[in-house]
Amino acid sequence: MAQVIANGVYLGAQYALIALGLTLIFALMNVLNFAHGQMYVLGGFITYTAYGQLGLPFIVALLASGVTLGVIGALIEKLLFRTVIRRSVREESTMLLAAAVAYFLDAVILLLFGEKQRGVPKIVNGVFVSDALIMPYDRLLIGALAVLFIGAFMLFMQFSKPGRAMRALAQDRVAAQLMGVRVDRYSMIGFALGAMLAGVVGGLLVAITGVNSGIGGPISIKAFLMVMIGGAGVVGGAIAGGFILGMIESVGLSVLHAYGDITYLVIFAALMVFLSIRPNGLMGKPWG
Amino acid sequence: MDKLLTFSDVELYYDNVHALKGVSLDMDEGETVALIGANGAGKSSVLRAITGLKRIRSGEIVYQGERIDAREPDEIVRMGIAMVPEGRRVFPYMSVKDNLLMGAFTRIDRTGITATLDMVLDRFPRLKERYSQAAGTMSGGEQQMLVIGRALMARPRLLLLDEPSLGLAPKLVQAIARSIVAINRDAKVSVLLVEQNSRMALRISQRAYALSTGRIALSGRSSEILNDERVRHLYLGGEL
Ligand SMILES: Nc1ncnc2c1ncn2[C@@H]1O[C@H](COP(=O)(O)OP(=O)(O)OP(=O)(O)O)[C@@H](O)[C@H]1O
Ligand SMILES: [Mg+2]
Repeated sequence: MAQVIANGVYLGAQYALIALGLTLIFALMNVLNFAHGQMYVLGGFITYTAYGQLGLPFIVALLASGVTLGVIGALIEKLLFRTVIRRSVREESTMLLAAAVAYFLDAVILLLFGEKQRGVPKIVNGVFVSDALIMPYDRLLIGALAVLFIGAFMLFMQFSKPGRAMRALAQDRVAAQLMGVRVDRYSMIGFALGAMLAGVVGGLLVAITGVNSGIGGPISIKAFLMVMIGGAGVVGGAIAGGFILGMIESVGLSVLHAYGDITYLVIFAALMVFLSIRPNGLMGKPWG
Repeated sequence: MDKLLTFSDVELYYDNVHALKGVSLDMDEGETVALIGANGAGKSSVLRAITGLKRIRSGEIVYQGERIDAREPDEIVRMGIAMVPEGRRVFPYMSVKDNLLMGAFTRIDRTGITATLDMVLDRFPRLKERYSQAAGTMSGGEQQMLVIGRALMARPRLLLLDEPSLGLAPKLVQAIARSIVAINRDAKVSVLLVEQNSRMALRISQRAYALSTGRIALSGRSSEILNDERVRHLYLGGEL
């Protein structure tokens, strides 16, 4: 039991970070970033290259993933989304654009890093063993880092000036403009931050599960699941959604295992029922 | 060139809707000027044009001797113009404190911001009581105080108010009106007050303009307009 919970928390923390980035972008720009999973994969490959290939310290590699994705996110917002949002009168345009970005990144990743599954040397060796729990130290470390990043992100959103500006923008765009918040600048910062979170999680998880070029799409779908569970555009919702999905997956893998690979089938069925009862997810309000 | 704000022949469109048809008006430093008129007359459009939320098609808007009609909203705030939008628009899930801090978004003088915050909380003690409460859960009157306080946090020279009395009980309208007078007098803030409650607006302003379907139909001293039989009939609905 403790084992299942520990696995769930470990996984949930990673998922929550992914969902936070996705929900941030949605709350600020009303954009569904279908390319979120690809950003995650790219982050994974950057850490793989920096830590696994070049032998840089893991934390430096992680930083490289975050910074690179941040820059890519900023460029994508400035060059693509901003232009489309300005010219288009239909909301679907940004969805199409996001899908296109996803395919584009998929192709770039395939071109640069190939189709093989890639892993890296263990960042720490050894396994934590107690009566109820067996957990490799590297998982503990990665889990702790993810929780740390979640905390840092929340403190930033809650107490920093840019964080406050982004919350304001999400809650009332016009009022935020009247306070002197520049919509274009903070959309870019938000997009960059969201992409950075995706990249960092990719870097974190490469140390445990490795990375391969094909998982971008499935990760995006998981991210959307989490956001739907929690409620779109809400910090608490993304975190709740992340941990709930992590926990269900962990329980599913240990309980439903006996019946074959049906965990996700059950999750999707449960989600359909849940959304028909609560269409806005657990918390349907923007940025509390 | 001593005018604080001047509109010359301003034309403004929303696609095909011709909202302002050659509007000219002006304000002196220290004045409270009322802008009255019926639904859809173009009152809010005047304010949106000043703050840069909406671009004008032609004409000129000059503030403190500078053209401002091509500037971005954040530049306008930095130049000392703060607006309280129609329908209050607090940041509903933020605390009163964070709402007020957002008002000082363009400022970087920390000690100055703290001083202004104290001043605002002194002016609206209710906000001090509700300091950590989510703004969206407050009453309409409290929210109105909050958005006025939020605008004051920018330490504006010119305060634009869009229908601050809307949906408030008469007693609260009185309180808001007194606050506006006090802000104008004590803080030396010039006020452009948009109101459908023309009576209140004319009582607390020195001069007034009446808009009618995008045109200035009437202007003059508020006290005279208030006592003019014809105007009373037209704009005050005989409700005096
Ligand atoms: N976003 C918009 N798109 C199209 N037309 C608009 C828009 N905003 C305002 N209008 C039109 O422009 C005209 C002036 O609107 P404005 O909001 O300035 O009026 P107002 O005097 O503030 O009215 P109210 O008292 O109802 O607030 C109206 O005919 C209105 O329908
Ligand atoms: Mg209006």
